[in-house]
Amino acid sequence: MITYKVSYVVIGGEHPGAIANEIERPCVGARVRIGRGTFEIVEIHEVLPPREDFVFLHATVRPVETAEHAAE
Amino acid sequence: MTLLPLMKAVELFHGLTDAQLQRLLDISQEVVYHDGDVIFEQGAAGDALYFISEGQVEICIRCTPGTAERTEVFLGRGQIFGEMALVDRGTRSATVRCCQDDTILRVIQGDAFTALCEADTAIGYVIMRNIACDLSFKLRHRNLNLDASSQGAAALEEGGL
Repeated sequence: MITYKVSYVVIGGEHPGAIANEIERPCVGARVRIGRGTFEIVEIHEVLPPREDFVFLHATVRPVETAEHAAE
Repeated sequence: MTLLPLMKAVELFHGLTDAQLQRLLDISQEVVYHDGDVIFEQGAAGDALYFISEGQVEICIRCTPGTAERTEVFLGRGQIFGEMALVDRGTRSATVRCCQDDTILRVIQGDAFTALCEADTAIGYVIMRNIACDLSFKLRHRNLNLDASSQGAAALEEGGL
């Protein structure tokens, strides 16, 4: 089974981003929870050559204004 | 439920056989944390290694006493932390805090890990190589983040802000 090790970097660099393993390849438009925020993937590419069952990805994400946050 | 499939999805254990994974599993313990729980504090002694089965933690650093703590990165499923103290025997370089309820970690104590690596040097070799790969990936993440930060600053300057 392939494991996707993803470095999530938030546009602007103000947020520290995250590293996480995913069981499905992340795609542009998908949403991801980082800390207490929700982010949308805007770009994704391989950052390193795969190592057998491990694929190394870099995803650029932007914050999503959720209905919950908008109400605050 | 067998935990071997979970272990196989952790890069730290990449390249180990099922028997070797089972030996590591035998010396690890499961711990569950909740949002806001501190797993360990910067400057504390400790030589246990953690890997995240489920959930998320944040790695925070306070550069000088009295200054605000800064989150360096969030780590999710399949990631490891605490490895620096295991390698160099130093104090904890960061505070690690759980940021999602029901975060499940597995902990491997340093003494048990060292004993296992001495008994089976192949395990030690593979894990040390994988720790190096993981540290390298964390550095790459940091570099990408710094790059995003300078691009953000440049965009602000261009915008005349």
